[in-house]
Amino acid sequence: MEKVIGLITCNYSAKESTALTESRPVASLPYFGRYRLVDFALSNMVNCGIRTVGMVMPYNYRSIIDHVGSGKDWDLDRKNGGLFILPGSAFGTSRTGARFLLRDLVHNKAYFTRSTSDAVFFSTANFVFNADLNKVYDAHKESGADVTVIVKTASEKDADVTAFDVEDGRVCGVHHGANFGETMFLDCFVINRQLLLDMFDWYGPTDYLDLFEAMSGDFGRVNVRTYEYDGYVAPIFNKRSYFRANMDLLDPRITAELFPDERTVKTKTHDTPPAKFEVGSHVLNSAVSSGDRIYGSVSDTILGRNVIIEAGATVRNSIVMQGCVVKSGARVENAIVDRANVVPAGTELRGTPEDVLIKEKSRD
Amino acid sequence: MSKKECIAMLLAGGQGSRLGALTSNVAKPAVSFGGKFRIIDFALSNCANSGITTVGVLTQYRPYLLHSYIGTGEAWNLDERGGGVSILPPYATQTGGAWYEGTADAVTQNLGYIETNDPDYVLILSGDQLYRMDYDDMLETHKKNNADLTIAVMPVPWEEASRFGILTADEDGRISKFTEKPKKPDSNLASMGIYIFTADLLVETLKEDANDQNSSHDFGGDIIPKLLEAGKRLYTYKFEGFWRDVGTISSYHETSMDLLGPNPAFDIFSNEFPIMSNSSTRPPALVGKDATIDDCLVSNGCQVYGTAKHSILSTDAYVGERATVIDSVLLPGARVKDGAHVVRAILGENSVVEENVSVGSVDQTKDTAVIGNDVVVGKGEN
Repeated sequence: MEKVIGLITCNYSAKESTALTESRPVASLPYFGRYRLVDFALSNMVNCGIRTVGMVMPYNYRSIIDHVGSGKDWDLDRKNGGLFILPGSAFGTSRTGARFLLRDLVHNKAYFTRSTSDAVFFSTANFVFNADLNKVYDAHKESGADVTVIVKTASEKDADVTAFDVEDGRVCGVHHGANFGETMFLDCFVINRQLLLDMFDWYGPTDYLDLFEAMSGDFGRVNVRTYEYDGYVAPIFNKRSYFRANMDLLDPRITAELFPDERTVKTKTHDTPPAKFEVGSHVLNSAVSSGDRIYGSVSDTILGRNVIIEAGATVRNSIVMQGCVVKSGARVENAIVDRANVVPAGTELRGTPEDVLIKEKSRD
Repeated sequence: MSKKECIAMLLAGGQGSRLGALTSNVAKPAVSFGGKFRIIDFALSNCANSGITTVGVLTQYRPYLLHSYIGTGEAWNLDERGGGVSILPPYATQTGGAWYEGTADAVTQNLGYIETNDPDYVLILSGDQLYRMDYDDMLETHKKNNADLTIAVMPVPWEEASRFGILTADEDGRISKFTEKPKKPDSNLASMGIYIFTADLLVETLKEDANDQNSSHDFGGDIIPKLLEAGKRLYTYKFEGFWRDVGTISSYHETSMDLLGPNPAFDIFSNEFPIMSNSSTRPPALVGKDATIDDCLVSNGCQVYGTAKHSILSTDAYVGERATVIDSVLLPGARVKDGAHVVRAILGENSVVEENVSVGSVDQTKDTAVIGNDVVVGKGEN
């Protein structure tokens, strides 16, 4: 897709603040051992041939830049195009509804005016899915829509996602929070570039609004059509959905769907050796990342890279992130242990399946 | 190009014919090792970790996978301006072209590369050995001895000495005798095939050797004896540590098993001198509800639903339900389907052992079983 560029808004965080998102934006939240959430938005774009992607940054962008670097792991270190790091408009991370804040887009108008592309794909970093955006773009061109939004029918109530009112495939209303059976927005859409620039003029005076909020009185003029995505989707806006979206991947059918051979999910590569399952280790129903060394017992758990589970330690139904050490005899259960923590010998970190415990990132 | 103190010439053209099915379609340096690595990673990582940033890789046998794996050298931080990795295959000139005949000939044919870089010293390496070495320390020794040639050496068991180039050296490390694969070795100090030459002498010697009709153009067989005879200053650099030339199926298997156990002979987890590789981005390994994994290296992309013991599961390897894998190496993408049994075997890349099929034998007197790359083993075929 030479004539399409991408833009990812990374400056939207989770409404419900947790220790996980105190220290980092949602975009760089570790996911399924070795990934970060933004990998999915980036990979979806790159996998369909987009080679120009802008990322609108939050103020605490260190972890995102550390992760994406020059963009080379996504083939975004291009002579022309490639990765553009764009400033967000506000000092801070929006925790309200806006995902595509007009002000963020208008402030980076040059990114859009300097492009000669036909269209722009937008995405946030809060949704995990692996879609063929070429199909979306084909549908977009075929229908002649101004904007095509990727949607899925909500299988449960989610107060944090955006929902559309749809008639015959055309959007006629937008509201925040989706109920069961409503049309849930996956925060990913394609818009004709010239129209986007026109919208900057139309909606400029209300640049404190989200692009779709601004459009909401205008659905008669702007033809916004839906594209139904039928694969696995995980919206990640709070601790519960984050935990579940990780655990979902212990089902090989979902893993196969999210990591198909034809559209691999790219991420920062590291030189870590394979995981070592030592003599006497006991691991069941878990995901184990490179560099892990397991001497103890692990079940129903996602381990990040370079985690050490010492002999006699037990980890159950948990997420243990990169660089943690669970010392001999320690127990971790129903917990999310953020990076670089040492769980001392003989101690316990225990939440409940309904309310998992979060051990914040080590300050060291 | 700017002046370099030391450049490396990495010999990676060998077929590795004694690795049989493992090298039927790839060069030996590109054979997978240790779950996520390929054999050449070790030499390239040593270069990068030793600060040698100009590396010519001499390739010949089935080079495609090797070339694509090395790429720009970026994976080893060797994508540098005015240096980095250069792939040097045989080439044609106005007077014709020739394959590389022997290790020295391969370098001779690329004297132009050496002269262009104009180094003071040239490091000659093999792309098919497993070890960690700080070449910079070896270079310091070379300079301190004011040597013409420094050869990395290590003691080997006496009974194996006749497989190596064997040296005799005095207390200062000056070499007085060198015999390639002696029938009756009088020393157990073996050459590791790692040489540092003072560049001018190397160029001069290779040019002479090229005109010698009786030479087989081999470093061990021809060049080193000639320099000794000429009274040049040849010194040893003593290496202590893990070093293996995985030349045969049994040594490949044995060396792989050396990575396992509570205190492995070769610690791939060491943070000093990291082994870098051009790895593919695959999701974490998935371990099933009824899996048993004991003393194994398990790489990204693996799925294990059965039993794996004392084995290496490389990237994207698969062990099905009720399947067992023991004392084996599954190369990238190898699949052991439900109910299959694999014992003391090496399964090539993307090979498949069909359901309920057995491969290999616990009988130590029998050879390690080898399934070639992309081979499917069905019922009644093994």
